[in-house]
Amino acid sequence: MKRAERIAATAFVVAIVAALALFVVYVRGDGPRAEGVLLALALGGVGVGLLVWATRLMPHIHDETHPRQATVPTTEAERESAVETVEAGVEEIKRRRFLSRLLVGAAGALGLAALIPIRSLGRSPGDSLFRTKWTSGARLVTVDGTPVTSSTLEVGSFTTVFPEGHEGSSDSQAVLIRVGPDQLQLPPDRLAGAPGGLVAYSKICTHAGCPLGLYLAATHELRCPCHQSTFDVLDGARPVYGPAPKPLPQLPIEIDDTGGLRATGDFTDPVGPSFWEEA
Amino acid sequence: MQAEARLLSRVLRIGLALAVLGQIAWSFRPEPSNAQADLEVEGRALFEANCSTCHALDATGTVNGPSLQGVGPASVDFMLRTGRMPLANPNDQPQRSEPKFSPDQIDALIAYVASIAPGGEPIPTVDASAGDLALGAQVFLNNCAGCHGAGASGDSVGGGQIAPSLTPADATEIGEAVRVGPGVMPRFGPETIDQQELDSLAAYLLWLRANGNEGGLSLGRVGAVAEGLVAVVVGLGLLVLVLRLTGAKR
Amino acid sequence: MIVRRLVDGVDERLDGTSFIKRNLRKVFPDHWSFMLGELALYSFAMLLLTGTFLSLFFVASPAETVYRGPYAPLQGSDVSLAYESVLRISFEVRAGLVMRQTHHWAALVFVASMTAHLVRVFFTGAFRKPRELSWIIGVTLLVLGIGAGFTGYSLPDDLLSGTGLRIIYSAVLSIPLIGTWLAYLFFGGEFPSAELIPRLFVMHILLIPALLVGALSAHLALVWHQTHTQFRPKGTPEESVTGTPVWPKFALKSVGLAFMTFAVLTALGGLVQINPVWLYGPFVPYSAPSPAQPDFYAGWLEGILRLWPNWEFHLFGHTIGELFLPAVVIPGIIFTVLALWPFIEARATHDTAMHHDAQRPRDVPLRAGIGAAGIAFFVLLMLAGSNDVLAKYLQVEVDTLNGVLRMLLFVVPVLVFAITWSICRDLRARGAAPIARPARVEFRRNAAGGFDETHADGGEPAEPVAATPADGEDP
Repeated sequence: MKRAERIAATAFVVAIVAALALFVVYVRGDGPRAEGVLLALALGGVGVGLLVWATRLMPHIHDETHPRQATVPTTEAERESAVETVEAGVEEIKRRRFLSRLLVGAAGALGLAALIPIRSLGRSPGDSLFRTKWTSGARLVTVDGTPVTSSTLEVGSFTTVFPEGHEGSSDSQAVLIRVGPDQLQLPPDRLAGAPGGLVAYSKICTHAGCPLGLYLAATHELRCPCHQSTFDVLDGARPVYGPAPKPLPQLPIEIDDTGGLRATGDFTDPVGPSFWEEA
Repeated sequence: MQAEARLLSRVLRIGLALAVLGQIAWSFRPEPSNAQADLEVEGRALFEANCSTCHALDATGTVNGPSLQGVGPASVDFMLRTGRMPLANPNDQPQRSEPKFSPDQIDALIAYVASIAPGGEPIPTVDASAGDLALGAQVFLNNCAGCHGAGASGDSVGGGQIAPSLTPADATEIGEAVRVGPGVMPRFGPETIDQQELDSLAAYLLWLRANGNEGGLSLGRVGAVAEGLVAVVVGLGLLVLVLRLTGAKR
Repeated sequence: MIVRRLVDGVDERLDGTSFIKRNLRKVFPDHWSFMLGELALYSFAMLLLTGTFLSLFFVASPAETVYRGPYAPLQGSDVSLAYESVLRISFEVRAGLVMRQTHHWAALVFVASMTAHLVRVFFTGAFRKPRELSWIIGVTLLVLGIGAGFTGYSLPDDLLSGTGLRIIYSAVLSIPLIGTWLAYLFFGGEFPSAELIPRLFVMHILLIPALLVGALSAHLALVWHQTHTQFRPKGTPEESVTGTPVWPKFALKSVGLAFMTFAVLTALGGLVQINPVWLYGPFVPYSAPSPAQPDFYAGWLEGILRLWPNWEFHLFGHTIGELFLPAVVIPGIIFTVLALWPFIEARATHDTAMHHDAQRPRDVPLRAGIGAAGIAFFVLLMLAGSNDVLAKYLQVEVDTLNGVLRMLLFVVPVLVFAITWSICRDLRARGAAPIARPARVEFRRNAAGGFDETHADGGEPAEPVAATPADGEDP
């Protein structure tokens, strides 16, 4: 027996044994490692056997040289006749001008009709991108519905808030941060919506819409884990680094008589990345 | 003259007696405990030798290091037991390393810093065995995974800062970091992460050390970057090797 | 006996001539680099096999349920049926996890080997007339492969893939004029809508695979009909093809290669964890994990997004979002140029001739330079796409790294181009061998006191061999 033949034979034997073992492992439910290794051995055994067989045990099959049939060019006359056949057909159709125009019309109408199912794929955007579920007086709650009060957060902490009744809402998610009461550098009208160093911004990055998961408390920066856009919390969430082109919209809030936090309106701008209809 | 001298002598004698009495009374003053005093003495020595260069003798800070007023025992303990402090060079980023002090020395330093810079967060008690794994996973994914990664393997968060891997952290360290917010990390008070959630968070992170790799090699839990590298280098690499072995080379 | 009847049967029905003989004797050039496409083919076969298995268990529904399976950290969590079914495949279905992981590894190797195949075809000029259609279909296959990968990656409804979907949604949203409508029609409304998972499922297991199988068949039929290009052996005419006959040697080899591909994929599937969605947790719209990378084939797209400056345009009360250029226009341009490359090159070189010889990269230094620069460009973008992970391991500031990468993106491709171009020119000037083999010459003193020189290896001096100057002009 030639050496190559022994190798191929061994490989096939390994494949047989591994496949049988795989059966046992599968019945016992031994998990992915055993299954993966035995599958690899069974498949690889067949592969090695075939490859050794083909490359080492078939040396008498030599390379052959064949002409390329596909490249024999057709004659000019043949091409001419093909063109004529096509054109004759077109002429025959065009001869009935009225009918052929109606056919084009019917095809166009059908094409329009085909747009109907496409239209049913989704509803009209309308102004839905311009507003969220936040309304004046909506209570700020955490994702499990617990109302947030002015004492929930210590300086340097943050939490994700939603309008009551819409916990987990995608477009209404906001991040509420507490900084030192004198640290915020906002214009007066915006500062009014950030009482006692409590300031809320949309949690959706204005770049590609990822939720802003990172708050760097020491530098007062919100950062996006997707493309590293960074926003300065003290300065109206102005983008200070990365691809985000515009600040995070602010959610104006107030502290009510019981110490609870409520929104005084919707976000100052449409949330998330820019779109065509946005000014 | 005689009378004056006698008066002076009497005053001195009474004064001396008072001083002695005062000294005796002082030595019987209500002391916290001798152990505490010893701890503070030891802590003082350690502080002056290792910390005061940057944080100043009175822990009010210098240009090289922040004031320690009000930071509290949790913060001091966290920095020392994870080897982040002391820094060889004040400009270095504090990073986890072998702690430089023994647990007793750390207790001494905490006691001393507390005596000269009172207040702040006490060392939290975290009981991972009282935690609930599922609650812990939820708390982790909602609050921590954004920076530390879903596999708790850490990631860079910008500004040269790295949210470290949480694999080496024990339950107390996790609790301290949550409550204190070391470095750029935000702090999470009991209103955001309560005691039960903190215990659960620790339970999940400790569980994650040895579990969660049902699929095989974890590749450092950095996700698609490592997976892509393996697919190209190992997967495609092995197959190209097969091609090279079985195909013509010229 | 059976073979005889089979052959007769086929012969009578399909062709009076030697159909079988002709096709069984068909030859394939067996240079190793010509088999990269087969790796892609067999990875695709593995994808169909494992994918069929997975589709029997996957539930394409966003409906909420409470997880009650064996994975402790998620017990009692609110998850979607889709996510729950992926956990069930991973932890409860017998051999489910190995199937799932093999499927994902096969997807990565599928795209990787298609890319390697494309690079080989590019550098050897195998796309030239008459094979432009094969090339275009090939680029289409690559795009479809990436699409298949992305839709599949998003199906488990986990936190990481949800983030990826959100980015795609935002990119569609940024398209001028029709962006919002397109996004709402495609995604079924504002992200995340309940329509999404079922739609992705239909795309992933029906639409895209159907297109892939169709395009793949056309690709293979064209290769079969037009025959391979080849590094033509010396002494054979250009209008010929030399190689191993299909039956039995090439067939055995190719099937062997299929099994080796399967073996590597199942070994990875069993031993190396991929996309552990149980660690990422179920999708919620208000969280994002980090590091947040897509699968590697989208890494360069991610890289463009991370490096692109924050330009936004406002005109006539409308906004062109920041994402439009880097996420829509640039990839569109890249794939268009790639698909049309055969025509671009033919026009630039005024080359209308038929070509059946594969070129060596050095035969066309300009093309080799452009190709190498392109590879450098994509590698840099992929590095940028994983900048946070890189920054962690290199202990550098990620913002600094971005700055460096931005600069390198302009410098490195130019350098790589110049270096590749000049090396190829040198090699071409020197002839066939990378370093011209010195002719072995013997000097023997002759009777007259001078030297006779004889060539020891059959008198063959170091002359250029097999260079094909006819079609080797610079584009």
